[in-house]
Amino acid sequence: MTTVVPQPSLDGKRLAFVLAEDRLGHYPEFRMFFVRAFDLDRVGLTRPGYVQTPSGAVYALIFIGRSGEAFPSGLEIHAVVPALEPFDETAVDRDLWSILRWMIEGIGGDWTTNAMEATGRLFRIPASMDADRSPS
Amino acid sequence: MTGADLPDVVRQHWPFQPRFARTNGWRMHYVDQGVGDPVVLLHGNPTWGYLYRDFVAPLTSAGYRVIIPDMIGFGLSEKPTREHAHSLDGHIANLTALLRGLDLRRVTLVCHDWGGPTGLGFALSNIARMRALVLMSTWAWPLPPAEFHTRIFPWRTMHAPLLGPYLLGRHNALASRGVYLSVVDRERFRERAQAAYEAVLPDAASRLLTWTWPRWIPLDASARAFERFVWLERELSTCTLPSLLIWGREDDVFDPSVFVARLRQLLPHAEGPHLVTGRHFLQEDSGPEIAAHIVDFLRRVT
Repeated sequence: MTTVVPQPSLDGKRLAFVLAEDRLGHYPEFRMFFVRAFDLDRVGLTRPGYVQTPSGAVYALIFIGRSGEAFPSGLEIHAVVPALEPFDETAVDRDLWSILRWMIEGIGGDWTTNAMEATGRLFRIPASMDADRSPS
Repeated sequence: MTGADLPDVVRQHWPFQPRFARTNGWRMHYVDQGVGDPVVLLHGNPTWGYLYRDFVAPLTSAGYRVIIPDMIGFGLSEKPTREHAHSLDGHIANLTALLRGLDLRRVTLVCHDWGGPTGLGFALSNIARMRALVLMSTWAWPLPPAEFHTRIFPWRTMHAPLLGPYLLGRHNALASRGVYLSVVDRERFRERAQAAYEAVLPDAASRLLTWTWPRWIPLDASARAFERFVWLERELSTCTLPSLLIWGREDDVFDPSVFVARLRQLLPHAEGPHLVTGRHFLQEDSGPEIAAHIVDFLRRVT
C-alpha cells in the first residue's frame, strides 16, 4: 500500500520528474483528496508531500499554484533517486500505478479501483497486469 | 516531425507534399492537393490527416481542391506542451487563420469528432466563405453528452487527473489501443494504419491533447466550453448550408440513433444519414465509400 511518509533525507539524491498534471481540479474531488492527504489548506506551498510505494521507493509530490484557481491547480510527481544514477523506468511505472491506485482509493465515491484496473487492462498497461498479482 | 521521418509503411499511403503555415501563433501542417472548389477535411482526437488518405484521390479526380490540416497538437503540426495552450475557441481561431490565410471560398467542410466543434466554429462565423457541410461522428451542442462520455469506465477514468497523463501520456493509450478498439476491421487497421497514429505522438509530452480534449466535452453546465457549445447549437439551427450526414453503423461513441437524430433536428434539410461500416473512426473501415458519398453529394449541390 502506498503511504504518506515524512520528508526523507535528500543527501546524495535528486528529484527525477516522472509525471505532471496541469489541471488537478478537472474533477474537484481529485484536488480535494490531495488537500486532505497533505493538509494543504494549512501547509500551502511550503513543502512537497512524500509517499512511499510498496517497492520501498519514495516520491515527492510537488503542488502547483495558479493565479485565479483553487490550490493546488497542478501536481508534479518526482522520484527520489540516487543523484547520479538513471532510474529504472519499469519500476517507476509500477510505482506510479500504485500511487494512482492509492489516490483512487482515497477519493472513493464513483471512482473505484475496479474501474481503474479494468481501464488499465483494457489498454494493456503493464502495471495493471502486475496489480492482479501483488498488493497496491 | 516534418513527414520525411514517418515510417515507410505510412509514407506509402501518405505521399503528399507537407505544407506549413503560421496560424494564430502556431506552426500548422496541412496538405493541399488538386484544383477546384475547396474541400477541407477535419480530423479529431487523437488522429491526423492520415485518417483521410483514401479521400484525396477520389476528390481531386472529381475536380476538387483537397485541404487537410493537422490540428495544432496532432499529426505533423506543432504540439504545445502546456495544457493551457488548448481551448476550443483557440482551435477554432487556428483553423480560421489557415483557411482565411489561404483565402478559401465556396468551402465544403468535412468534420469528424473534434473537427466538428472546431470546423463548425469556423463555418458559422465565416458563413460567406462556406458552401456545404459533411458531418460524421461528431456533435455541436452543450448537453446531453454521449452516454459513453458519462461512464467512469473507461472514459472518465482514462482522462481523469493524473490518470490521463499516465494512461494517455506515458502509455499512448488513446492513439494506439483506443483507436484500434474503435474500428471494425482491427487486423487491417493494425497492418495499415496504427503505426501512422502512434508515430506522430512519439513522447509523453507530445500526447498532451489526447487527454486534454476529453476534458473539454461538456458533462454539465460548469464545462469550460459550455457557452461556445450553446452558440454552436443556436447558430447551427439557423444554418441553411447544404449538409450531408455520414455515420458508422457500429459507432458506440456517438450512437447514430441519438446523434444523427439530434443533427437532423438542427439541420432538417440535411441529406442522409448514409450508414457505413464503421465505429467511431469510420474513415478507417469505409474511406473510399465515404469519399464516393461526398463526391456524389457535392456534384449535386455545388
